[in-house]
Parts: sequence; C-alpha cells; structure tokens
Amino acid sequence: MLRPALRRQRGRLAAGVTLLCLHQATEALVPVAIGVVIDRAVATSDTGALLLSLAALALLFTVLALAWRFGARFSYAAKEHEAHLARVRLAERALDPRGQRSGLRDGELLSVAASDADKSAGAIRTAGLAAAACSALLVSAVSLIMVDLALGLGVLVGVPLVLMGLQRLAPLLTRRSEAQQASLAETSALAVDLVAGLRVLRGIGAQHHAAGRFAAASHDALSATLRAATTKGLHLGLTSAVNGLLLAAVTGAAGWLALNGRITVGELVAVVGLAQFIAEPVQVLGWCVQSLATARASARRVAKVLQAAPAVRPGTESAAPPACERVVLTGLRYGTLNGLSLRIPAGETVGIVAYDPRDAEALLAVLAGTVSREDYQGSVRIDEAPAESLRLAELRRVVLVEQHDVALFEGTLRDNLAAGGADDDDTLLAAIRVAAAEDVLHHRGLDQVLVERGANLSGGQRQRVALARAVAAAPPVLVLHDPTTAVDPVTEALIAERLTAARRARPQATVVVTSSPALLRAADRVLVLKDGRICAEGTHDDLVAAEPSYREAVLR
Amino acid sequence: MTRILLPTATPRQTWAAIRAEFARLPGLSAAAAALLMAASAAGLVAPWVLGLLVDDVITGAGAGRVAYWATVIAGAALVGGALTTAATAVAARLGETVLARLRERVLDRALHLPSATLERTGTGDLVSRTGDDATVVASAITGSGPLVVGAALSVVLTAGGLFALDWRLGLAGLVAAPGYVFALRWYLPRSAPYYMKKRIASGERTQALAGALRGAATARAYRIEETHVAHVAASSATTRDLTLEVFQVYTRFVSRINRAELIGLAAVLITGFLLVRGQMATVGAATAAALYFHRLFNPIGMLLLEADTVLQAGASLARLVGVASLPAAPVAAGADPGVTGDDLEVVVTEHHYDDGPVVLADITLRLAAGSRVALVGASGAGKSTLAGLAAGIVAPTDGTVRLGGVPLDELGEVRTRQRIALISQEVHVFAGPLRDDLRLARPDASDDELRGALDLVGATGWFRALPGGLDTHVGEGGHRLTAAQAQQLALARLVLADPEVAVLDEATAEAGSSGARDLERAADAATAGRTTLIVAHRLTQAASADRVLVLDQGRVVEEGSPDDLLRAGGRYSELWAAWNG
Repeated sequence: MLRPALRRQRGRLAAGVTLLCLHQATEALVPVAIGVVIDRAVATSDTGALLLSLAALALLFTVLALAWRFGARFSYAAKEHEAHLARVRLAERALDPRGQRSGLRDGELLSVAASDADKSAGAIRTAGLAAAACSALLVSAVSLIMVDLALGLGVLVGVPLVLMGLQRLAPLLTRRSEAQQASLAETSALAVDLVAGLRVLRGIGAQHHAAGRFAAASHDALSATLRAATTKGLHLGLTSAVNGLLLAAVTGAAGWLALNGRITVGELVAVVGLAQFIAEPVQVLGWCVQSLATARASARRVAKVLQAAPAVRPGTESAAPPACERVVLTGLRYGTLNGLSLRIPAGETVGIVAYDPRDAEALLAVLAGTVSREDYQGSVRIDEAPAESLRLAELRRVVLVEQHDVALFEGTLRDNLAAGGADDDDTLLAAIRVAAAEDVLHHRGLDQVLVERGANLSGGQRQRVALARAVAAAPPVLVLHDPTTAVDPVTEALIAERLTAARRARPQATVVVTSSPALLRAADRVLVLKDGRICAEGTHDDLVAAEPSYREAVLR
Repeated sequence: MTRILLPTATPRQTWAAIRAEFARLPGLSAAAAALLMAASAAGLVAPWVLGLLVDDVITGAGAGRVAYWATVIAGAALVGGALTTAATAVAARLGETVLARLRERVLDRALHLPSATLERTGTGDLVSRTGDDATVVASAITGSGPLVVGAALSVVLTAGGLFALDWRLGLAGLVAAPGYVFALRWYLPRSAPYYMKKRIASGERTQALAGALRGAATARAYRIEETHVAHVAASSATTRDLTLEVFQVYTRFVSRINRAELIGLAAVLITGFLLVRGQMATVGAATAAALYFHRLFNPIGMLLLEADTVLQAGASLARLVGVASLPAAPVAAGADPGVTGDDLEVVVTEHHYDDGPVVLADITLRLAAGSRVALVGASGAGKSTLAGLAAGIVAPTDGTVRLGGVPLDELGEVRTRQRIALISQEVHVFAGPLRDDLRLARPDASDDELRGALDLVGATGWFRALPGGLDTHVGEGGHRLTAAQAQQLALARLVLADPEVAVLDEATAEAGSSGARDLERAADAATAGRTTLIVAHRLTQAASADRVLVLDQGRVVEEGSPDDLLRAGGRYSELWAAWNG
C-alpha cells in the first residue's frame, strides 16, 4: 500500500521532506546561535558583531519559518491527495456492479472509507516527519561534537538512552489511558442511547431510573479517568525530573570544561540548549514508529476491501430480443431454494407467497444478479439467454429488483424518482400516482428535498416513493418485495389496483413477493413457495378456498 | 411543527456555572492552583542557575562552584518532578470531578425534559449535546486541559523570571507580546469560517459515503453506481481542497508566530548587550534571559495552537450548561389529588400544533376502567395525535384529559407517567444486557419477574435461543433483535412498569401476517385488566376491542362495537373489506 503511494506523491514528498529537514536543522541551530551572540557580541560588547549576529539570527528565523511553511504544506498535501484517492477507490470498489467479497458490513466499510483511508495515508506524512527528525539529530550531533567530542558523544548517547528508559513506562500508560477512553466512550454511548430512546423511556415513566443508571456509569468513568491521570502525572513528573537531572549533568560537565577554558561561554550555552533540544526529535521518532504501526493496520483494512474478489463474474453478451417468457427459472437450488421452477411471461402480474422468508430472500438475490453462477444449480434464463452470459447492466435493465429495505438517496424527489432513467416530469408524476404517493408532493412537488435515507419522510411515504421510483423505471420485469407493509389498508388497495393496471397496459411483467391479500388478489396468478419450491398455484380466491395453510399465511 | 432549539448559555452564564462548580470543591481547587504554580516555578531554576554559572566561568571561580550549581539544578529537577506528579493528579481530580458532575446533570435534565418541550425540540439536538458536545468538552478537559493550564502558568512565571533577572530584560521580553497577539487576531477570524466550511463539507462527505454504501444494493439495481461514486469523489475533493486551504492559513499563522519569536529574542539579546556594556547587568543575566525567552517558544506556541480547541470546547460547554440550567426534574408536588378510578376521559374541542391546521376536533372519548377502545382511520387521520393526547404527552389546544376524574395537568407529569404508559411507534432497544433494558421499567425486578414478563408477551421462544439469556448484549453493537422482537420487548417493559392505563400506538405491520398476529396476542396479554386505548394499525386489532372509533380528518365518523359497525355497513365495514383483500 505504502510504496505505490510514495511513488505517486514523490514530487510533493521530495520537496516536503527536504524543506522539513531544513526546518529541523534550523531549529537545532537556534540555541547554537544564542550561544554565538552571547560569545561574540554580549560578552565582548562589540556593536559590529551584535549587528552582524542579529542579521544572521534574522536570516536563520526566515529560513526556519519558510522551510516549515512550505515543507509542511507539501507533505500535508501529499497525504490529503492520497487519502482522497483511497476514498474514491474504496467507494468504487464498494459500489462495484459485481459486488465484492470483502465480507465487511456497511458500517465497517464506511469506517474503512472514512477513517482508515485517512490513517493509512497518514503514513506518508509520518515518513516525512521521521526524515526531518533524523536530520535534526544529525545537525545537533555535528554541532555538539564540534564543541567537544567527549561531551557531544555523552549527550548523543545519554539522551536517547534516558528517553528509551522512560518509554518502558509507555505500556502501562497506554493501558490506563485505553481503559479510560473505553470507559468514557461507554459513558458517552450510554448517554446517546438513553436520549435516543427518550420517548420510549417517557412512555413508561422510566426517565428517573435511566438518569440513575447514567450517574453510576459516569462515576465508573470518573474512577478510570483518575487512575489514568495519576499514571500520566507520574510519567510527566518522572520525565521532567529525569530531563532535569540530565540537564544538571550536562551543565556540570560543560561548566567544568568552560572553567578550564576548553570551551567558551557561548559554547556552554549552545551545549546546554542542544541537550534540551534533541529530546524533541528523539520523541518525534518514537511517535513515528507508533503511528506507522497504526497506519499499517489501517492500510491492511483498506487493502482488504480494494483487493476483495468480485461476488459475481458476469458475462459479456447483450440481452436477446424480448421473448414471450421474460424470465424462466428451472430446477433452481440456492440457499433454501430446492428445485424451484417458474416462468414470468410479459404483461403478467405474479404474486409469490413464501412461507419461509429465507426462500423469498434467496429468490430475490438470484433475480437481482447478485449470486455467482457457481453458487446456484439449475438455470436462470432472461429472454431465453442464460443469465450468467449477460452483462450485468443488461440483466438489470431487464429485471429490476426493488428491495423491501428501502434505500432512498439524498437529493430531490425528482432525482430519486429518475434513478431508473426516466427524466420527464409527466412520467414521474404518473409513477407517483400509481404508488398513491401524492401526499409527498404536497409542499414542493418534485423539488421536495429528501435527506439521507429519506429520513424526513414517514415509513409509509418512503415505501411509496421507492415503489414510484420502480414504476417510473418501467423495467420489462419488475420485482417487488413486500412493497406496502407500512401503508394503510385503503391506500394499499388503491396501489394494488393502479400498479397492476399500469404494468398490464405496457405490457410488462411484475413479480410481487408479499403476504398482503390486497396485492395478491390483484395478481393474475399466485405461486406459493414452501420448502424451497412451488407447492400451490392459482388465483388468490382459489387458493383461499382450497388451501388452509395459505389462508393461515395471508389472511389477517 | 416548528423546531425550537434548546437553550445555549451565554459566556457569562457559562463562566458562572463553572466557577460555582469549582467553589463546591474549595480545598481541591486551592491545592490544584498552588501545586501547579509550584511545579512551574521549579522549572525556572535551571536557566537562572545557568546564568549564574556563566558569571562564575567569566570571573573564573573554582570547580566547586560548578558542582554546587549542578547539584542545585538536580535538586530543582527532583522537586519539580514530584510537584508535577502531584499537580497533575490533583488538577485532574478537580477537572474530572467537575466534568462528571456536569455530564450527569446534563443527562438528568435532558431525560426529564418536559413533554411539551421534547415534542418541540425533538431528540436530535439533545443527542448531539449529550454525545458530541460532551465528548468535545471531555477531551478538552482531559486532553488539552492540563497542557494548556501548564503552558499558561509557565508563560506567566517565565515572564516573571525575566523581570526578576532585570526589569529592563522583562520589558524587552514583552516586546514580543504584540506580535503574538497580532498573529492570533490575524488567524482566528480567518480560520473560523474555514473550519465551519470544512466541518460541513466533511459531514457531506460522510453522508455521501454512507448514503452510497447503505444504498449499494439499490444503486446496483438501478445501475447508478457511477453517479454515486462521482458524488463521493466530488464531496471528498471539496473536503480535501478546503482542508488544504485551511492548512495554508495555519502555516501562515505559524510563520507569524516565528516572527514574534524572532522579535522577542532579538529584543532580549540587544537589551542584554546594552546592559552588559553599561555594566548594569552581568553576561550571566543576559544569558539566562535569552534562555528564558527561548524556553517560552514551546508553551506560547502551544497556547496559540490550542486556541481553536479551547474556543470549540467553550462553545460546546455553553450548550451543555444551557441544558444543565434547565429546571430540575419535576417531583410529584403536593398531595395526590385523589384519582378515584382507572377510567380515562378525553374531551378535545380542538387541537392543532402551533399555527398549523386543526388536526383534531369535537372528540369525546370515554374509556371505562379496564375496557379496550381501538382507534381506526387512514394515515393522517389523527390517530397518533389522539393517542398522544390521551397519554398526556401532548396537551390539547382546547380540551381536557381526565384520569379517574382528575385533569392530567392537576395530576402532574410524574404521576401521569406512573399511571398512563404509552408505547409509541418509536422502537428502541437499549444497548447493553437485556436485563438492564427491562429493568429500566422496574429497577428492582428479579430475574424471575423479568422472565415472567417476557413469557407473558410470548417472547420465550427467541429469549431461550439467546446466547447469554438475560445477560445477552442487545441493541446497538450487540445482538440484533428483529422489529417484532423489539416490539415484544417494549410490551414486556409495559408489563413490568405495570400502569393502570396503557396507550398502544405500535406499528405491527412490518412483522408480516403471522408475526403480526403473535404481536397482537402479546399486546392483548400485556394490557389485560388495564384501561387500554389502542391505535389499530391492523384492523384485526380493532376486532377484539370493546369499542371502535373511526377517525377521518381529525373527526370521529363512526363509533360502536366492532360487530355493530361491521353490520352497519359504513366506513368501518368498507375498510374491513379492503383490508381482507
């Protein structure tokens, strides 16, 4: 994952890393410069030297500021561009017409696309920071050794050793702070969950109990936080004490050298300043190691999605000219389906009652073209051509499956209804009428704005808008799954009548998988699925009269 | 219905609320302040000593002095370390205790929001305050809080140290202050709108992603995958570009900070130079001053860079304090006004929301104790509104609801909720063990009582199949219950809450025919012996009622026993015919 990203961003990265290295080098030189000014100007009271050294200091700060400004921009841009690229590729993969076998659920995919894409791209920036920290260490090392070899080596070995020693405390620190974060997250989740269910709590007068439960959770979180804060305080105190002791040692040694005239006062200042400064790049390097580990875990999750195999391997053929029987299933075995055969002729409305909901799910999955050929036995023919030989777009142009679990999209009502390609308002309004969804038009007509998932509509409205969308698409074969479960009886009867009339007029085939008597009565033919195959067939009224199990399943 | 927002505290109110919380812990507050100051002061020893050492080197003192000064620095380091440990622990105890009290009060107020207010605000704003805002404030107090306080103290004390060296060196250090102020005043107004835009854009990006991923099956069915990918790409690109733009502003801010650093450092060095030349200060003092100023770079930078976080936390805090300052939970005030029975009477002359159209008119609904009445009508006929009125969640614009002869507004919200339960269409399974969910209705219920309630509503079948029984984690992130199971759970809570009156407005339709029949049986069992008003989403629910009211456009068009209405051949019998297909 990281290597191609580094290659793609090499221009930005090269510029960014160079400039950030320069920045770190100039940061390291600031204490050295202070020492030089003290030595050459302050101690000597030489005005010329003061002006010269101030000019040099100004130059140093200018380089420092500009190097960071542009270096940070380049490396940040490299990271952001890479994250964007990863996000778009993830979306492409998640929406691939062929589906994908990453095995991740929607929520997990979303978190990969939203957060892992960013974190894995963060590795690029981390790499740049690590390089810059190394250059800061190098400059400090050279400066220190130029002052005094023994002192320089002492600082260069001592500081990292001490920091690594402190690092040994890190696991305890991480454990405590993870426990604290987990307990805080739990508290926050509990608060959100209780408030989200507030109407339910109020309905049974349970708000007081809920508040008590939250207070208890909040207390637990407080104890965890305090435990973590004590550990953190210990770590901070230890770090500050150890750094201070190190400083005392360096000051003692450098002071002794200065007293003996082996180094100047300015060099003393520079050595002390550098000894404090190099803690920073050493810590940055430690952080980089951790952050690269996180990035690698994220990159693995991103790669898992990007490299997931497609769920189906579609064919390459275009659809044949329309046949009399648009869909023919023969001896279909898939999931709970056990040798199902059925024919859907053009112009007919077929009702399907599945005693076992799994039969319905399996049938819909096959009709939607989301099942790989290897995974089912028997044959599926669309206009007499084997389904697996067709391009997916062709298959789905002929057979449209509108799921029971309605998914509407953010945008206007018009955008949503036009998903199937119809774009003139008359067609869309006619479809709205078929779905008896005129109430959705009330405020702003087709310009009515739907928020994500159509959350600003009622459940019944969402169902009817989805139905209208399917009707507007006018596919040769429309497959609906329980399209009216959230619709009141009067409206349901209206829909049953208008839907069959509209589809019959074309003439187009319609399959309705449902247990609603109103829709089943309107169908030309009803098939009853039991144990994975058809056990009875006839009109709704015939079946009601002849089949007790059918009556039990569909009558209310 | 117009949405109104919950109150947000003004900065003055927010400060007052925070100060009051600190004042409740006077000992801890004083200890934290003293320890933080002492810890920062210990950090000033080393540069000061270094200045003295420089003077000793120049005057050529003996090696003993070096050892002495090194020992002083080491001693200060040990004391400073101990003080830092204590200060961090004490300050955390103070800050975190205040935070915990605040979040508990916020949730308490949120949960006890009066019904009328809740119906107007909705739960969205409350959820974002108790969730997002509380998280922002918590992470600011826990994460940035100690750093910001520590940095602020070390800035103040270091500046003090400069003045202690020589007041002229102190003034020289102050020359940098306008530069820092300028940098911040340049940055904040420029970045704020960017951050706002960026938040909106990244919200849109998340929505585009979420919409596309959740609707992937539909996008494939309609062959509009590319449109959605393009939408994601466009919103992701917008966010990326805004992020880069705001980062550019940020880098220019940092350059301005660097400039202020240079000005201050140069001023200190020049002043030191002049003082040393005029023999008003030693080289050591000038050195210590320069080192002091160099030490300021990090804490000042940290303060400026955390300014955004602090401002954001302030805004979130204001929203939290706004909720926390709502009136406390109502208690059952005064004497019980003497409810004389379990009969419910709803008289509505007229009801509408705000200035909206009339949704209910001329309704008189009497439920004898223990009887069952069903409301029937098309969507939008006013069934759910009438149920809300009967349950006392909404007060009628013009009319009265009486329980056992006592008007609900005299009975008060707490007593009303204890006596009248409402199960609405909103289904929620509380995240956590199933036992905890059920015990919300009755905290002292034994496991046997919980199992009994589940058994009564016919949930035993799926309950036995749960991996951990009552310990099974259900709801968000746990074992997923089906819609029908969640409804049964709601009925089991009703059984445990054991109210005299039950108002049921649950949608059972999603469960399919046989599932719906099970739920109807469960509702019958859960409400047996209670005065029950049921909104019949399925007409079979009406068939088993004692009496049926048919509503149309907010008015009662038919009323009677189900059998009578069926025979009468009016609206109800028409609906019945349509329903049975």
